[in-house]
Amino acid sequence: MSTAVDLRDPSTFPSRRVEAWKYTDLARVLRETPPPSPTVETAPGGPFAALGGEEIAFANGRAVGADAFVASGEQTLRLRFVSDATGTGHSASVRIAVKPGAKLTLLESHEGAGAGYVASYRIDLDIPAGAEVTRVVLIDEPADAISVSVAHVKTVPGAVYRQTTITSGARLQRQETHLAHGGEGTEVTLDGLYALSGERHTDLTSVVRHGGLNGVTSQLTKGVVRDTARGVFQGKIVVERGADGTDARMGHHALILGERAEVDAKPELEIYADDVQCAHGNTVGNLDESALFYMQQRGIPADEARALLTQAFLIEVVDRIAHDGEREVVREWLTARL
Amino acid sequence: MAAVQETIDAVAALEKYEHGFTSDIETEYAPRGLNADIVRFISEKKGEPEWMLEWRLAAYERWLAMEEPTWASVKYEPVDYQSLFYYAAPKKKDGPKSLDEVDPEILEIYKKLGIPLKEQEVLAGVEGAARYAVDAVFDSVSVVTTFKAELAKVGVIFMPISEALREYPDLVRQYLGSVVPVSDNYFAALNSAVFSDGSFVYIPPGVKCPMELSTYFRINASQTGQFERTLIIADKGSYVSYLEGCTAPMRDENQLHAAVVELVALDDAEIKYSTVQNWYPGDAEGKGGIYNFVTKRADCRGDRSKVSWTQVETGSAVTWKYPSCILKGEESSGEFYSIAITNGHQQADTGTKMIHLGKNSKSRIIAKAVSAGKSDSTYRGLVSVHPKATGVRNFTQCDSLLIGGDCGSHTVPYIEARNGSAQLEHEATTTRLSDDQLFYAQQRGLSQEEAVALLVNGFVRDVMQKLPMEFAVEAQKLVAISLEGSVG
Amino acid sequence: MLKINNLHVSVGDKPILKGLTLDVPAGEVHAIMGPNGAGKSTLGYALSGRPGYEATEGAVDWRGESLLDLEPAERAAKGVFLSFQYPIEIPGVPALTFVRTALNAQKRARGEEEVSAPAFLKQVKAASAALKMDFDMLKRPLNVGFSGGEKKRMEILQMALLEPSLLILDETDSGLDIDALRIVSEGVNALRSPDRAMLVITHYQRLLDYIKPDRVHVLAAGRIVASGGPELAHQLEAEGYDKYLPQAA
Repeated sequence: MSTAVDLRDPSTFPSRRVEAWKYTDLARVLRETPPPSPTVETAPGGPFAALGGEEIAFANGRAVGADAFVASGEQTLRLRFVSDATGTGHSASVRIAVKPGAKLTLLESHEGAGAGYVASYRIDLDIPAGAEVTRVVLIDEPADAISVSVAHVKTVPGAVYRQTTITSGARLQRQETHLAHGGEGTEVTLDGLYALSGERHTDLTSVVRHGGLNGVTSQLTKGVVRDTARGVFQGKIVVERGADGTDARMGHHALILGERAEVDAKPELEIYADDVQCAHGNTVGNLDESALFYMQQRGIPADEARALLTQAFLIEVVDRIAHDGEREVVREWLTARL
Repeated sequence: MAAVQETIDAVAALEKYEHGFTSDIETEYAPRGLNADIVRFISEKKGEPEWMLEWRLAAYERWLAMEEPTWASVKYEPVDYQSLFYYAAPKKKDGPKSLDEVDPEILEIYKKLGIPLKEQEVLAGVEGAARYAVDAVFDSVSVVTTFKAELAKVGVIFMPISEALREYPDLVRQYLGSVVPVSDNYFAALNSAVFSDGSFVYIPPGVKCPMELSTYFRINASQTGQFERTLIIADKGSYVSYLEGCTAPMRDENQLHAAVVELVALDDAEIKYSTVQNWYPGDAEGKGGIYNFVTKRADCRGDRSKVSWTQVETGSAVTWKYPSCILKGEESSGEFYSIAITNGHQQADTGTKMIHLGKNSKSRIIAKAVSAGKSDSTYRGLVSVHPKATGVRNFTQCDSLLIGGDCGSHTVPYIEARNGSAQLEHEATTTRLSDDQLFYAQQRGLSQEEAVALLVNGFVRDVMQKLPMEFAVEAQKLVAISLEGSVG
Repeated sequence: MLKINNLHVSVGDKPILKGLTLDVPAGEVHAIMGPNGAGKSTLGYALSGRPGYEATEGAVDWRGESLLDLEPAERAAKGVFLSFQYPIEIPGVPALTFVRTALNAQKRARGEEEVSAPAFLKQVKAASAALKMDFDMLKRPLNVGFSGGEKKRMEILQMALLEPSLLILDETDSGLDIDALRIVSEGVNALRSPDRAMLVITHYQRLLDYIKPDRVHVLAAGRIVASGGPELAHQLEAEGYDKYLPQAA
């Protein structure tokens, strides 16, 4: 499923003929290797600056300081991918290790400036027993940027991993999460939220592989698309032979608020064990007309009522973010975009 | 000791495919293998018009240029297309004119299968039982079609497609390949080149077909592929319910069945199409069995037209089948109700496509999959909404039940919404057969196999209810038989 | 205060109200009674501007101004309040947030100053206590998981806080037990005043024991077919609607 995109090699740019890229045709928008992005500087900060902690930053793909991190104890790490480029490309990869018993809050931001750049990132994250990682990814890129980021997350029994991705899309944007689920005592939450307008496109793709006993996964993605935007959700849960007691739930719900907007979803279950509880739900629709009228009847003008209902629809994902600080940052970011 | 006995019983149960007998019927074959001459041979045997031969040859050319699809999650030994017979027919000069002329041995086979071919037998049946007309297809040819005269009185045409090509060439030419084009997929192209028989149905405007129509397919000859073609046209405001059943002998070899079914529903017409598929599934080791590679599609061309597919899939070694609806008409409606049961080494990749092109078109999908043994089952479905189709509604529910830890069950739905007014809803669950329920039923005196059959029949009930009465009873028994030996 | 003249309303292609005329002077409470399917709820929706309820003919004059061309929120700001027969659930929006948003939107539309958070909370606490509502319930998403009685109380609470001048109660008694009915009615009666008009839509006379009407009208087949004093309600309770049904006419 994971075709590693290498910006130096156009033959690695998948087209929609590759099943896993059916709805995100990278080869169509990116035919050749983009010229390398220039070196730029970036000062510490980013959307999560107020929450403190350590910082690792990549500016146009170049590490500003360290390019790996080992978490121990209770720590907050701001992982920033800063792009400031026009028509050029850059990539970066980072490995984050977590010590047993550590609690890491990983605040990842994709901060884009400039125009028409191409970015490709890879994140490797290993979570041992007794460790807990909360990863919040905020992707904010220009409307004409192209970006692909892939995370490989490995959990072992007794690890806790929570992930929430929030994005406003780009010209073509994809975030992949590949998660090896440890099973026993491992709890995984894998959430996503997209709010797209204009001609933006985002693709949230995930593969959760349950290899051990009694693993729990809860996945909730919500999105809203306007104008001619396109939201893609591909979620796959694999329960391998013998992974009994697995409890996996996946939900994807989207609102289409533009006559020509599009949502494509492929929530997939691949199951080879019988003692499992797996479910997925998917809905695509628009705002509830009767709720809209009810709100107007109480004096709330139509546009405001729509915004309020849209926010109420999406907020469920934000409410699932464990810590107050991140939740507030995300809530404000979202409110500003609705 | 008990466990050993259970294993023996389980293996014995798998041998219980009750339609697995072979019959010694003198058969005429086309030469083995496939080339343009074989296509000509089949066309000539059928006395077809020249345009039909051209159509077949064009399909054959397309097939040669195509590749066998690999995207389904099924694995099977490659088919050697040159080792098959593409035409096998019971030896008999000229087609039988009436039932009296049908080979008594063939009648005997259908009797053994429980299919009434004598109209008076149907009439003499149970008081109040629904009558149904049967087209019996034996290997490559239709051997008899019942109730033709009575149906003709209301203008309903029900006959073998080979006969329709001679008697109603214009009607067939107008619609054949208009729903499933020759080049649609590898197996459809192959079928278009070599299909030998199947049923043709035309219901005139405003006519509600007075009885259920059914086709019963039987593969008898060895090393033979069956390629039937069914074409049903429901003209404006008409209604028809059509049933399809199929069986094959137990053989060590894998046999290929590549059918094409095309349905056309014009304004306000309704077609209900039900299938009970019970091809030979292969033995306990996965040897033999039918490769069931079928293309079924309905074109809801007319406004307010409606097509409903119901299928009970219990047979075949490998199933590749997606009965679909193209919802072109405004307010047209498509339904897909499916039960897929796999046991032993069976593999099934089945589902549907609902293509919403018309305004306010609706669709509903309920798919129930039960996997046991070492089998593998996949639901694969697409719901797509065209940008111009406003007011579309879809509801999809896919439930999978796993029995035992060696089987697999997969759900692969695709949802493509390109219109802001669409309301699409999809739910899927995968669970195991509940130990508590099993024990509860057994505590009340049911044997393990009875308990499994009871619980599974409960699980598939929603879909079972969509079948015509006579079929539902048969299908329930089939569910029980298919799962014998699955727990233990 | 409210003057409805020859009002025709269609839903889709189907005419529901067929020439309804009604006059409710300031300070009065008028009951609209009638058999099922007479168009009672349609009247409430038409007055409040629900999309899909199209006035094809006639006029609605509210305090000297036509209502029919206004958006639902504009009508609300002019004091029109419809208490829904089936209040809508709005997941994700706490009841408190909802009411405050509505109140401030109305105030903005009228050019009044918005209410501050502490002042609003004070008002809500007083109003919810009067309706014997648990304040914590108001922190939950509006009407989600509320019982039928709680939803109706929530409607009356909004009514008390939004202080409308035209109150339309659509089958407010349905789904209420006697205690709840009394509390809700007390809430409504507290809002009776010389500068308000009230339309009480109900199938049964029961509610009118608690909310005493000045006038009672029978709505059948889309028109007002009879009017009278409170005694008309008792008469209907005793005799039923049979004589107003189309086949009896």
